[in-house]
Amino acid sequence: MNRIARRALALLLLTFALLFGLCFFLWEYVTQAGQWVMHPGSPHVYDEGRLASGILTDRSGEPLLDLSGGRTYHGDPLTRCSTLHWLGDREGNISTPLYGHYALTMTGYDLVNGLYHYGSQPAQMRLTLSAQAQNAALEAMDGRRGTIAVYNYKTGALLCAVSTPTFDPNDVPDIAGDATGEYEGVYLNRFLQVSYVPGSIFKIVTLSAALDSVPDILDRTFTCTGVYEMEGGEVTCERDHGEQDLETAFANSCNCAFAQVMELLGGDTLERYVKQLGILEPVSFDGFTSESGNFDIQNAAPVQIAWSGIGQHKDLINPCRYLSFVGAVANGGTGVLPHLVDAVELGGREVYTARTQREDRILSVQLARTIQEYMRNNVATNYGDENFPGLTVCAKSGTGEVGSERRPNAMFTGFVMDEEYPLAFFVAVEDGGYGSQVCVPIISQVLAVCKEVLDADPF
Amino acid sequence: MELLREFVQSLTQMPQSYVNVYMALLRYAAPMLAFVLLLRCAVPLLSFRREPEIWAWLCVRGGEKLPITHWENVIGRSKLSDIVISLSTVSRNHAVLTRYDDGSWTISDTASSGGVRVNGRKVSICALEPEDVISIGGLEMTLEPISRQQEQRLAQLRTKAASVWSSLGNVLLLSIFQFLIAVSYAMAGVEKTGTVLTGFAGIFLCQWALLIFYCCIRRTSFEVETVAFFLCTMGMAVIAATVPEEAVKQLIAMILGVAVFLGAGWSLRDLERAKKIRYLAAIAGIGFLLITLVFGVTYNGARNWLRIGSLSIQPSELTKVCFVFVGASTMDRIMNKRNLILFIAYSALLCVCLAIMNDFGTALIFFCAFLIVAFLRSGSIGTIALAISSLVFAGVVAVRIAPHALRRFAIWRHIWEDTMDAGYQQTQALMCMASGGLFGLGPGKGWMKYLFASESDMVFATVTEEWGLVMAVLTVLAVVALALFALRSAAVSRSGFYTIGACTAAGILLIQVILNALGTVDIVPLTGVTFPFLSNGGSSMICTWGLLAFVKAADTRQNASFAVPLHRKRRDQDE
Repeated sequence: MNRIARRALALLLLTFALLFGLCFFLWEYVTQAGQWVMHPGSPHVYDEGRLASGILTDRSGEPLLDLSGGRTYHGDPLTRCSTLHWLGDREGNISTPLYGHYALTMTGYDLVNGLYHYGSQPAQMRLTLSAQAQNAALEAMDGRRGTIAVYNYKTGALLCAVSTPTFDPNDVPDIAGDATGEYEGVYLNRFLQVSYVPGSIFKIVTLSAALDSVPDILDRTFTCTGVYEMEGGEVTCERDHGEQDLETAFANSCNCAFAQVMELLGGDTLERYVKQLGILEPVSFDGFTSESGNFDIQNAAPVQIAWSGIGQHKDLINPCRYLSFVGAVANGGTGVLPHLVDAVELGGREVYTARTQREDRILSVQLARTIQEYMRNNVATNYGDENFPGLTVCAKSGTGEVGSERRPNAMFTGFVMDEEYPLAFFVAVEDGGYGSQVCVPIISQVLAVCKEVLDADPF
Repeated sequence: MELLREFVQSLTQMPQSYVNVYMALLRYAAPMLAFVLLLRCAVPLLSFRREPEIWAWLCVRGGEKLPITHWENVIGRSKLSDIVISLSTVSRNHAVLTRYDDGSWTISDTASSGGVRVNGRKVSICALEPEDVISIGGLEMTLEPISRQQEQRLAQLRTKAASVWSSLGNVLLLSIFQFLIAVSYAMAGVEKTGTVLTGFAGIFLCQWALLIFYCCIRRTSFEVETVAFFLCTMGMAVIAATVPEEAVKQLIAMILGVAVFLGAGWSLRDLERAKKIRYLAAIAGIGFLLITLVFGVTYNGARNWLRIGSLSIQPSELTKVCFVFVGASTMDRIMNKRNLILFIAYSALLCVCLAIMNDFGTALIFFCAFLIVAFLRSGSIGTIALAISSLVFAGVVAVRIAPHALRRFAIWRHIWEDTMDAGYQQTQALMCMASGGLFGLGPGKGWMKYLFASESDMVFATVTEEWGLVMAVLTVLAVVALALFALRSAAVSRSGFYTIGACTAAGILLIQVILNALGTVDIVPLTGVTFPFLSNGGSSMICTWGLLAFVKAADTRQNASFAVPLHRKRRDQDE
């Protein structure tokens, strides 16, 4: 019997094998469970590769999209259209990195509790967008292609960002078979994924550089005869602006005057400022990354360098980045990155709260103030304060020439100076025509609605 | 009845806020209760004092008295013998001294060189009378069995099993656990709430009935059974979450299992009876497989199902119990090499049947059980090495013949490289397990129910998903506790028959847990084996209870096991 009792100890080997295997698994669990649960096939998190549950609302709590069960969008077709580029469509043609970026937060995963959260209610993600402002912007675009964006330059909250053309995800049109061009580039979120020829709105950059680096710039005057001859070609204006100081030249958006400014400034200096101001850098927030800009004066003739300072030649800017640059001007020289997600709530608890992301100072306070004054002067003398009742608006328009076969892109950007409405805006209308003419009525409508939204809930 | 219906209805229509609070508390309370319960069961099982029982004295001419501490004792020169006689004339394993249930003794020669003489006559096996002179290697001695009074004192001195009150407390704790879990599934609004609640109520009634029966026959140890019923309860929870319509079917299987447990335990009570039943078991074991081979139907690639009307059973599961019976053997037979050869032939026959049935998982279990038995009986590492190498050889041949088996191994430790096909089952299981965290998503909140075999082969993941990793680990530890108990009892067991039986049964339980739980999580290849008591499956449930009878039969604590007769009672009959 002693013998068998001793041999029975061999059974301990099996026990140890089991316990060892179990411990090995527990180690794998502790180190890898987070990856397992976030795997695209994870049934509690994803449904056919897309986040399986969650409710997205606008800033007022208005539900925009319920992700569960094949996605339920907002009941109103206008809202569905105006928010589509942020929420994505069912087919994945317009995909948004939002869900992937916040999957871990929205599922509330942690090692101890797994995906459990009290009450098992789906996570609620509150966006900074206002459905009301989105709809107003979409209506103001009136079927034209382009983008409108408004954001709070103090907090970074995107109040409105619409990209057109768009469509109703509940009633998808025949996009592939469309020959009219109505849906050209419909899958692009133009606010982020497109870079435009800026036209004269780029003069804000040139102005900043000139004010900062040409010591006697304010004492100089610039004469415009409608044409300014340079080596390699000429710079032209719509009309003859006569003799102007810098501020008036900026208000007139006088190309000839800015060609002379560029001669004072030099291409290399402008390039340095473009870099310093970060105009070309992509912006990243909430999983999104914007397109980069372009500024290239290599092997350029003096006239081409002059055109570069007027936002033509090879200049390209991304709406989102330029909005944050204008926001930095408004904010006294330091920019704030835009963001789309205000908060995520799970099981009655706020698991994510947006924080304002400040960028480094790009302009001195004094310089920023001067540019503000100049842009304010633009509206007061040129665009008309009557278009912005109750708001003190500073702005600059632009007309981006994109070739002879198409009409130019109408651009308009600026900000509101009022303490209670810290809003910066950007409008681009493709094939639109003359900048201020096209854009002022549009942004006038949108800002009026944004003002209402902030009056109701100022955040 | 009406009242009960109203209660259930009130549960299913409970306001959501109450349900949320209940679930939030239960996810911590359930593993805590399970932990306390298992601790209360495991501590006495793993810590009881194992004192040797002295059944007789061997009086050597010259005055020395050697205590005889087992019912089966090897006499020999080897240090591992139970009675060591250091004389060069004595063989290493010379003879076996065996006590029978009625108190009589025999001595048998184990093919020793010198032979055994009783009263001067050379014998191979001989019943011993009190004054008989035994001569081994020239040394003369007499056997002096203990008196009836001493035997009675021995019985009384033996370590007592847990008191009735402690067992009662455990079952009460288990009942609370069952109640809380059953209520949670009713609240979660699982399908077929009535059937599920019947399932839980059935386990509840069954365990109390068994405990009352034990009290009636003056047996008080209920730890092993409590652990089994705990696992059955978790199994029922899995069924409620995945296949609620099968709750009653599984309950019936469990009741049948308890019946088999009592039946097998009864047959083990009397060693002579057990030895006879052994032959019956051998025939039944091979018979089950042959019937399946002829009438079986193929399901998921393995032809191991027998369908009788709407009932489907897996006879290969029942063969496991028979196999343990066949494998168990007394010392006098163990010392005889021929017995092992017969056993090897029998095992090989079973494995051939299973190979034809394409039941790979079961074949693997049988093979491991065979290794355990072979090692316990021979103690030879060489034999085991030979067996393993022949398995590897057979495995290579099998893989050549059936390439789909290779696929299973190819994916092992590579499941994340093919999450859509070959690795789908396990990766989904792991994702669900990670989703559950340490305390689970809560009853009815799991996704595993959509996964194939979530209530049987993948049950470990289903438990983790709904009840948490802590609970899943506790289910594994519960089986480990049973196995370690079998191992501890083996040392003081009276007969090799019980030791081998208990160890083999425990070994099968351990292997099944290794293959099931560790297979699910890709630590070992996935083979599709059930988790003892936990997995849904009638045949498996019945078999596991049958195996538990062997563990119970090795439990020699005083008044512990119904499979061990009380001494006092027999003495009363004698007088």
